Amino acid sequence: MWEKFKREWLTNPGTNILAGVVVALALIPEAIAFSIIAGVDPMVGLYASFLIAVIISIVGGRPAMISAATGAIALLVTPLVSEYGVDYLLAATILMGVIQIILGLLKVGSLMKFIPNSVMIGFVNALAIMIFMSQLQYIFGISIDTYIYLLATIAILYIMPKIDFLKNVPAPLVVVILLTALYIFTGANLQTVGNLGTIEKSLPNFLVPDVPFNMETLQIILPYSISMAIVGLVETLLTSRIVDNATDTFSSKNRESRGQGIANFVTGFFGGMGGCAVIGQSIINVRAGATTRLSTFTAGAVLIFMIIVLGDWVVQIPMPILAGIMIMVSLTTFDWGSFRFLQKAPRTDALVMLITVILVLFTNNLAVGVIAGVAFAAIFFATKISKVNVVKEEYDDKITYHIAGQIFFVSIDSMMDQIDFNQAVGLVELDFSEAHLWDDSAVDAIDTIVRKFEERDIDVKVESLNADSRKIIKELSTLNEQHLTS
Amino acid sequence: MYKSILLAADGSENSFRAAEESLNFIDDTSRVTILNVLDAGAAKNDVLHSTSGMLSRKKEKLSKITSLYEEKGIDYTLRLERGVPKETVVKIANSGEYQAVVLGTRGLNSLQEMVLGSVSHKVAKRSDVTVIIVKYRCPHMPM
Repeated sequence: MWEKFKREWLTNPGTNILAGVVVALALIPEAIAFSIIAGVDPMVGLYASFLIAVIISIVGGRPAMISAATGAIALLVTPLVSEYGVDYLLAATILMGVIQIILGLLKVGSLMKFIPNSVMIGFVNALAIMIFMSQLQYIFGISIDTYIYLLATIAILYIMPKIDFLKNVPAPLVVVILLTALYIFTGANLQTVGNLGTIEKSLPNFLVPDVPFNMETLQIILPYSISMAIVGLVETLLTSRIVDNATDTFSSKNRESRGQGIANFVTGFFGGMGGCAVIGQSIINVRAGATTRLSTFTAGAVLIFMIIVLGDWVVQIPMPILAGIMIMVSLTTFDWGSFRFLQKAPRTDALVMLITVILVLFTNNLAVGVIAGVAFAAIFFATKISKVNVVKEEYDDKITYHIAGQIFFVSIDSMMDQIDFNQAVGLVELDFSEAHLWDDSAVDAIDTIVRKFEERDIDVKVESLNADSRKIIKELSTLNEQHLTS
Repeated sequence: MYKSILLAADGSENSFRAAEESLNFIDDTSRVTILNVLDAGAAKNDVLHSTSGMLSRKKEKLSKITSLYEEKGIDYTLRLERGVPKETVVKIANSGEYQAVVLGTRGLNSLQEMVLGSVSHKVAKRSDVTVIIVKYRCPHMPM
């Protein structure tokens, strides 16, 4: 126990603290921008990033992964906030936490691995497109100065990581500091964060969301909470896979789901919006050498410290800077391997990816895309494996059918259709060496084939069943030893 | 014969070819360090576009290299590092411990290469020691 604690918290503390500081600096501009996407004060996103990071560092399942306020969740809740207000968002966050805790206890976390890559690719692409679209309102039709600040932001963000001695400095924060200073000293015709919300320089307080506790409230928030819980877990699972891969270690997905639930549940009571793991910052963290929970904890703690110290400046940040940062976020979120994927992957996988993206963009709900994507992928998979291949070989005195594929309730029709019962021979062999019988329907189907041939006075031999298939034939079939040869 | 070389191996087919090629200029008195760099930046692309078998195949390839050296009686050590591959390879190649660095031309990740330039190019440019870049289909000369 103590050994594990030491390993997960105290390995290389210097490197991990440093990585956490870098991550905190990268989180701040995004937390503010995501708050604005959701339509709430920047503090709601900043509190969320602080609380979720600190809590998940203790209860999460994946050391060195960063969780905070995220675009995926912010985009989901925009309609809830605009219709009912921030208190309903906080209530929905608490309920989201409860749902995630339940899913974690039910071990749904390990079920998430059944989400195919095609759906995951669709998910990140849809997310990228939605983040991009959400920024257009802060870019177009405001002022010439807006375009200038936006282009300057994108240029710096693009160039800085390419310069060797600057690439370990978090570019988004440098942009925010440089250009906000420029704006404060020279002035320009721009929207600022202050136009859209206020900053409080204080630690979050415990508060119960100001909503009526009745069925009506539940009906309003429940659909949002379910979507938030699903989307949060999907992005978290994807991120933890990435961190697992990048660090060549494994992590507990169930503990992580439960941890996400606890983090969101608590965050809702302290005035923060729901969140989940973030891919970008987690990669920054791991790249900076982080391996322990201390890095995640530091990220949260430094973030809130910076806000308390620098709160007065935050409201002065011009919106086009945040919009520029969000555009870069959307470009790095997008999976640029998708174009090759569309050409190279099996048609059905490519189709599932496109369905996921299109449904998300139509419904503005990432959860709908994921669920539909998984459903389509499952249907395509079932269709694919329900194709049974039957090859007929004719000899002078007998006919052999070579049957290949998975034989189960869905696929028996496909098998039966390919067998012609009107034969003029005395013996038919059914070769199952490349087939697998899965259920009683498969056994029934074989019994039927044998019976139909025998009705026409044709002997039947069932050959080369594999061990599992032979076992269920023995248990369920009316065939006798004469029919079966090994 | 080199006394000490660094083999940059990403677990691709080409890194195995580079290992085969290295046998032409090392013998059982040489020391080889097999360097594998885990790149967090490529992790997202790897996860989204890998079949579950890909990562284990990568490990298999690395173990193919170690068993090749074992078979030939070459003294090797396996070194795992985390970071940006080209920078890490350059840094370790220039550490003064090695007389030469050997690597294949094309790695696992062609998309990244297109965007960022290839690892072999960067290493060739920035390394202080001899760089041996093993071309795509290099016929293996018997020792």
